[in-house]
Amino acid sequence: MHEIDVHDLSDDADYAASVQQGSASMNRSNSSKQGSSGEQEGAEIVYVKDNVAIHPTQYASERISGRLKLIKQGGSLFMTWIPYKGQSSSARLSEKDKSLYTIRAVPFSDVRSIRRHTPTLGWQYVIVVLSSGLAFPPLYFYNGGVREFLATIKQHAYLVRSADDANVFLVNDFQDPLQRTLSSLELPRAVSVTNSPSSAAAPSESPSSWMDGETFDRNSALAQQNARQRQKHNDPARDLSIQVLEKFSLVTRFARETTSQLFGEAQGDGFITNDRRKHDGKTHDYPRIAESNDAQKLPEDVPVPADPLEFDKLSLVWGKPRQPPLGTEEWSAFLDSEGRITDSETVRKRIFYGGVEPDLRKEVWRFLLGYHSYDSTYAEREYLVSVKKSEYETIKNQWKSISKEQAKRFTKFRERRGLIEKDVVRTDRSISFYEEDDSPNIKCLRDILLTYSFYNFDLGYCQGMSDLLSPILFVMGDESETFWCFVALMERLGPNFNRDQNGMHSQLFALSKLVELLDIPLHNYFEQKDCLNYFFCFRWVLIQFKRQAVFIYLYLVSCREFEFEQTIRLWEVLWTHYGSEHLQLYVCVAILKRHRSKIIGEGMDFDTLLKFINELSGHIDLDAILRDAEALCICAGENGESCIPPGTPPSLPVDDTSMYYQQDDDDVL
Amino acid sequence: MASRRRMLLKVIILGDSGVGKTSLMNQYVNRKFSNQYKATIGADFLTKEVQFEDRLYTLQIWDTAGQERFQSLGVAFYRGADCCVLVYDVNVMKSFENLNNWREEFLIQASPSDPENFPFVVLGNKIDVDGGNSRVVSEKKAKAWCASKGIPYFETSAKEGFNVDAAFQCIAKNALKNEPEEEIYLPDTIDVAGGNQPRSTGCEC
Repeated sequence: MHEIDVHDLSDDADYAASVQQGSASMNRSNSSKQGSSGEQEGAEIVYVKDNVAIHPTQYASERISGRLKLIKQGGSLFMTWIPYKGQSSSARLSEKDKSLYTIRAVPFSDVRSIRRHTPTLGWQYVIVVLSSGLAFPPLYFYNGGVREFLATIKQHAYLVRSADDANVFLVNDFQDPLQRTLSSLELPRAVSVTNSPSSAAAPSESPSSWMDGETFDRNSALAQQNARQRQKHNDPARDLSIQVLEKFSLVTRFARETTSQLFGEAQGDGFITNDRRKHDGKTHDYPRIAESNDAQKLPEDVPVPADPLEFDKLSLVWGKPRQPPLGTEEWSAFLDSEGRITDSETVRKRIFYGGVEPDLRKEVWRFLLGYHSYDSTYAEREYLVSVKKSEYETIKNQWKSISKEQAKRFTKFRERRGLIEKDVVRTDRSISFYEEDDSPNIKCLRDILLTYSFYNFDLGYCQGMSDLLSPILFVMGDESETFWCFVALMERLGPNFNRDQNGMHSQLFALSKLVELLDIPLHNYFEQKDCLNYFFCFRWVLIQFKRQAVFIYLYLVSCREFEFEQTIRLWEVLWTHYGSEHLQLYVCVAILKRHRSKIIGEGMDFDTLLKFINELSGHIDLDAILRDAEALCICAGENGESCIPPGTPPSLPVDDTSMYYQQDDDDVL
Repeated sequence: MASRRRMLLKVIILGDSGVGKTSLMNQYVNRKFSNQYKATIGADFLTKEVQFEDRLYTLQIWDTAGQERFQSLGVAFYRGADCCVLVYDVNVMKSFENLNNWREEFLIQASPSDPENFPFVVLGNKIDVDGGNSRVVSEKKAKAWCASKGIPYFETSAKEGFNVDAAFQCIAKNALKNEPEEEIYLPDTIDVAGGNQPRSTGCEC
């Protein structure tokens, strides 16, 4: 265990690889830059997009629409955004506001990064951050075109995807890639700036509640925020939390007023859940038996602080109604004559809200997992499948051809194989697919995992992988196809299994920040109980809620096969990455919030909490928790995303290679 | 609360993946054995009430993931431990060789106040497999290693429930020894394991 450190040169190797990759793409873009700059002398519009809007307030109806352009002049790239004249969507927005937000020819040499956001509901938007740390307000692409926007910039300026966050694109970034983490982490909190000199003079006239339209630097902005909200310590997440709650409460004020009366008494004694049931059986999903137990166990003298979002959750969005799963006919309608999926966004949205019918999963999962690209044709996919099949056989043969004599002298191989063999025989054996002791499917799990450990030798095998693989094999059936789907999944989840567990640590950290944002009293409770490491959620996150019989419909008897099916349904929803790449974290928050009054009321400490969560079963129906999670995700919005450090799984890895597998061999490879 | 805290004895089970940590815990607490325990992800624990003389204690037994990669979690799970149980599989040499690594890693992560005297107990599990024919770590070898560290040693079969109770009684007794508050108990005068337990070679605390 300690001696392996001697072999652990992976950090250096990773560093070298990333530097190498960085310089390679630098050369690429430099050469294209030089090539084109020589040819063009005058201004050339290289990109134009209409209906790109700014929302100066939180009201969706109040927007300033305009035209976004990228202009190339003398080898430099500029961005402009000019609002349309006389087409204001709201009478409240004056021409002055429009000029306030106008972006006039910003050279890309002044731009540090662009962050892309894809919210659950609504339009994709980007936030452009300047080298000074200041940011323009979010630009909403009502007609789409974010991808082209970024692609065009990449053609004409040095743009790289952040190693840490697939949605952050760094401009002119020549730094050590390891330093990007910090800078991109700060992006969402960067302060908005408008380049109109009049804005500083009349901040109070700006309708923007979130930035005051004022030009100031980042430090003074934070200082001001802290002064305004000097609550406990100057934790930006706390400020964000207040911000998001204020914002949310505005939107829901109407609904709130109508429901507050209803729940007034519930808030009084803290037993919201019990009272809620009486009044609102429709939206209530607590199992009755568990609930009555709760009520008995709750010590009467422990007041449970009210959930700050409780009213809002019920009255506002609370997620959209779930839909029936996507069926074959509907799916075929998404495919063009050659088999391309032209509107992948709509497909993902559809699956997000309803999942996929079991028979169709085999086909759809390849896209969801990223093994097939949405814009590939039937022919291309067929070709890919056959190529990948032989590639799989090649990799598999690498370990298959190891003779007994060779294995005798290959300890690491034997240990790795031993560990895999130990785990596959204890993975989902209660499912009929894996039930038989000599099941070919168990052998198949073994072969795929062993092959994967050769395909990605650095990551190797880690416990939990068999849990992730087993449903994929169950759905895909074919060994090679399963392998490549698993490979695609591990591209996203690999860091969870790193030796230093960095993927897990960043997710648990993000989870703590999200709870702080979305349920301050619960956060304070965890803090008081020294539970902020959130290790009690470790299993949820590592194997994506598997083995956790949490998701059982109320009216059905708990059944292993059904539990398996529910996990599968949850996974395909998570894999759409619709709304947030990190929906799994919001699912954690949603479950914790569902049980908050029990957790706080019973005064659970770390041990009790871990036990409680490990044994949570049959308590929540999946659709309800997904709706909760979606609502929380919308509620948290951009502030939620800013709680999640760049590169947190399951964010996509950097362009083509996975450079962040930092561990070398450990004792069992 | 303070008195309740004193009554709780926290025990951590460590050892390579698949040596039988979950099975030992379940055999001791629930008297059950299953061939189909899943690989432990994260950690879990079971509790059992134990009685010494006229006092009741709650033994809280923590079962942890066996893959070394999960050790960074140890900080959270090991703290406040009163005794650490190191388990190996008598049929797998590597699991025996790793015992010292587990022991050292525990001492680093749990950082007990008196690491020199922190109580460990070693269990050689799965002695039932293949009638003992596939065994690769001899009892003699294991005993010698344990003796050199002053650690009590037991050979067990979680599957058959063999020697499990005796082992855990010794574990509980050692955990008690670690409790500074328990001045009434002078563990070296108590022999709860008894002399008549089969294959009990340790606990001469």
